[in-house]
Amino acid sequence: MTRLPLLTTALAIGLTATAHAETTLTVLMIEGLDKGSMEAVADAYMAKHADVKVEIQSLPWNQFFQVSEMRLKSKDAAVDLIYTDAPVVASYAANGYILPFDDAVASEAKGKLVASSVATGTYDGKLYSLPMNSSAQVLFYNIDLLKAAGVTPPNGLAKDSVTKPTDIVNLAEDDRWTFEQVAEAAKAVSGDEGGKGKPWGFAFEQFGELYQLQPLGASLGGELISSDAMTAESHLNGDAWTKAATWWSDLFNKDNVSPRSLGFGEAAQMFNNGQLAMFVGGTWNVAGVAGSSINFGIAPHPKFAEGKAATPTGSWYLSVTKASPDAAAAADFAKFAALSDKGTDVWFKTLNQLPVTNRLLDEINADPAYDAFPASVMRLSAWESRNTAVPRPVTVAFSQLQDAFRTAFTDIANGVPVEEALDTAVDAYDQAAKRLNRK
Amino acid sequence: MNRSPVALLVLTLAPALLGLAIFRAYPIGLAFYESLYTTIGGERIFVGLGNYADLFADSGFWKSMRVTLWFNLIINPLQVALALALALMFVQKLPGMALFRLLFLIPIGVSLPVAVIIWRIVLLPEGFLNGALGAIGLGPYRFLTSPDFALYSIIGIATWKGISYWMIFLVGGLQNIPPEINEAARLEGASPWQRLWLVTLPLLKPTLLFVLVADITINFLLFAPVFMLTGGGPRGSTNVLMYEAYKSGFVFGDMGRAMAIVVCLVVMLLIIVAIQFRLLSSAPAREGK
Amino acid sequence: MSPTARKALIYLAIAVTAFVFVLPLWWAIASSFRPNDAMFADLFPFTPRALLPEPFTVEAYVAIFERGFGSIIANTLLVAGLTTALGLVVNALAGYAFALFEFPGKSAVLGVVVVSFMLPFEAIAMPLYSVVSQLGWIDHVAALVVPSVANGLAVFLFYQFFQQVPKDYYEAARLEGAGWLRILWSVYVPLSLPTCISAGLMLFIFQWEAFLWPLLAMPAQQFKVIQVGMAAFQDQYTTAWNQLFGAAVITALIPMLLLIPLQRYYVQGLAGSGIKG
Repeated sequence: MTRLPLLTTALAIGLTATAHAETTLTVLMIEGLDKGSMEAVADAYMAKHADVKVEIQSLPWNQFFQVSEMRLKSKDAAVDLIYTDAPVVASYAANGYILPFDDAVASEAKGKLVASSVATGTYDGKLYSLPMNSSAQVLFYNIDLLKAAGVTPPNGLAKDSVTKPTDIVNLAEDDRWTFEQVAEAAKAVSGDEGGKGKPWGFAFEQFGELYQLQPLGASLGGELISSDAMTAESHLNGDAWTKAATWWSDLFNKDNVSPRSLGFGEAAQMFNNGQLAMFVGGTWNVAGVAGSSINFGIAPHPKFAEGKAATPTGSWYLSVTKASPDAAAAADFAKFAALSDKGTDVWFKTLNQLPVTNRLLDEINADPAYDAFPASVMRLSAWESRNTAVPRPVTVAFSQLQDAFRTAFTDIANGVPVEEALDTAVDAYDQAAKRLNRK
Repeated sequence: MNRSPVALLVLTLAPALLGLAIFRAYPIGLAFYESLYTTIGGERIFVGLGNYADLFADSGFWKSMRVTLWFNLIINPLQVALALALALMFVQKLPGMALFRLLFLIPIGVSLPVAVIIWRIVLLPEGFLNGALGAIGLGPYRFLTSPDFALYSIIGIATWKGISYWMIFLVGGLQNIPPEINEAARLEGASPWQRLWLVTLPLLKPTLLFVLVADITINFLLFAPVFMLTGGGPRGSTNVLMYEAYKSGFVFGDMGRAMAIVVCLVVMLLIIVAIQFRLLSSAPAREGK
Repeated sequence: MSPTARKALIYLAIAVTAFVFVLPLWWAIASSFRPNDAMFADLFPFTPRALLPEPFTVEAYVAIFERGFGSIIANTLLVAGLTTALGLVVNALAGYAFALFEFPGKSAVLGVVVVSFMLPFEAIAMPLYSVVSQLGWIDHVAALVVPSVANGLAVFLFYQFFQQVPKDYYEAARLEGAGWLRILWSVYVPLSLPTCISAGLMLFIFQWEAFLWPLLAMPAQQFKVIQVGMAAFQDQYTTAWNQLFGAAVITALIPMLLLIPLQRYYVQGLAGSGIKG
């Protein structure tokens, strides 16, 4: 589909207020807090570059991927920068929607940012997307519900606790609960009638999602797909993942301690209402939970007893679109937002999500402001992001992998046998990988 | 009045046909054209009927086809029958009908996404409906997570949302039936049931045909509840073709496959609609005597 | 069965149906009067208390209007109203022509009209976006209204109805020297009021529920419509459930309120309408 210059003209007419600026950059991103933070970064940038005007366009979260994909696919020259979720970097790059950054930016990024974040932004040896922030998942637990069930709560961060950097290391290295412990505690809380007379024992925030559940297999050393990304055979249905999926299956089908389907945000809602004793969720829930009347604590993400610690990671990136008429200016803005001290400071201060620059992570570790709860959760997250984070696999067929994974783990929760569900997912991924790589 | 019928035709038809040509037919042409292409590594490649050949060789497509046909075989007669029953209730003249008519109109303004959010709460394992059924000693049922129930739950939600809307069309059709005809039949001693079958329904045929065609179209293309509630599962039991197309096109970025599925859907729709026209369109009401 | 018993039975059926229609929505209405963090307090497991708005608060409605939902509703009414008004004229004219005149290729053109409403909007959204941006309409209200005015389903609906009107009417009026516009206006339109309402409702609801297209066609989001405005209640991490339900209640009420005054054309106008031979 070709685009005629008419659109740009129409937009230019619509933007008469910006007549002074020589270049206008449009960033397409999600609605909500992230947009406000990007506006703050844009203001900081424009204060230095009077000839550039940065506009932020936003889409609702639920429709962001669909609508932005349509605009990218139709080579919309009105979008210069696109807010990019970690797992779609590879497919945007492979489909030619976004441009790689030059080597200078790539080496600067390697020097300044956490290695796993840079790896996720890289496709085919080139850096396509600059990470804006990362994410971390922790175990939220209701102290009163656990105690009432005769369970000693895990060691963690709780109200009035003071946590020095060394405490975080001890907690994360030696005091991490196992998934087996989580299941036992959940059983103690909910008996076998979770959700009816008694509260539910345990839940993951994002039901069945790859981002959320990848640590289950990773803790046991399981990869999702082969290193050349061509097949999931003997990986997703290998021993590690079969064991991990069996543990997941037991939550629903044997022990009945976890609700079978959870909508977005419902785990936190139930936790805040005292209907759920523990959940693994993002650190973005901390403020909401702290505002409730629940007596709660936060422990590091669990691991399997015989495995190693593994945690989800990755969040949003910023990329320059191929259709942008001002790609160089757009790249300069991306560099400012993701790499400069000023840009990353503004972003972190306004959004308060886990940063990816070593400078800010060091600051979080050293600054006494992060000793107290709940700010200390950020310090724990910072440690996890540098030590236990497992990035999602880089593959052109990531969307298909994610969909197959979600289908498999939802079906398993609903009683489909583990082997059957995992084999189906492997087939779905392998077919997609074959179709997308038939050059 | 000496205007030639040609000028008249142009005047009356042009606005609608122009609009349809620019904003429907041309994009449809492009969509069909897209189904002949595939994208590999950012390059568009002409594959002719390759996307269709891939589809017909794909067992997932045929499984999804079976789900789609079964879904439509149930939901369309059900919705039209219930909408008709609703329309017949709507035109009753009983005390308090004004209030009931109001209540009948409620689902029209509730958008489908909101209806789905609400119904999800109703159908959850610990939700509303299981709470009520539990009170009389039944259940709990897994309405959305069991392969035996999920498709029927989707049908239920779509029906709740849809029948008020179709009722409006049928009520309109009922108004076009001269009351004298019914009155005459009543005087000749026909029972209400006989009047419905022998007088009302035959005269309602054109409206019924319209509702059936429009309803089938909408249900063939329906996927929002599947998208929001079941993601095609459990075990593929709700994976209708349109959802498969949506996923291919917008989640997987495989527009060629998505458009090939859509074209198959439209061809099936056309065949079904053509059959309906054959069966129903010899409208007896045309003479109006 | 005696007529009284029959009436009672019908009455019961009507009451049960209305109850089924209302009950799920009742929960949403009650919930819209709760604070957001108490949304699921009496669900999981369900207790009848979930159907009561307690603790009671109108904060959701205050927040909805503080977000500018008033102007969002006005925007949507403007778009839907314009589409309905223009659409009724344009599609009724086309239906009239198809019903009254024979011309070469008529069935082929009718076929295209029918196919035009069989394509899922998702399939044509991207090509349509290209067309509309070439017209320079991106971020203009015209992008929302104009593409939806001509509606194959509405043409089909009018065609179906006008076809039933006996041709003698047309011939008789012609003999009296009436022009085609006059015939349409004074013979066909009065007969087709219920059809006009049905078609109008169709055009109106289409815009009322429009979501994907406004997102694409109005990227600057200066002019928001209802479904786009409601999507903002759910962001990446949280959902303002009470506001979502509050907005849902408001958006459900408006089409209903618009339909109520039109009821008389249906229910009381029985004697006046109808095609008499």
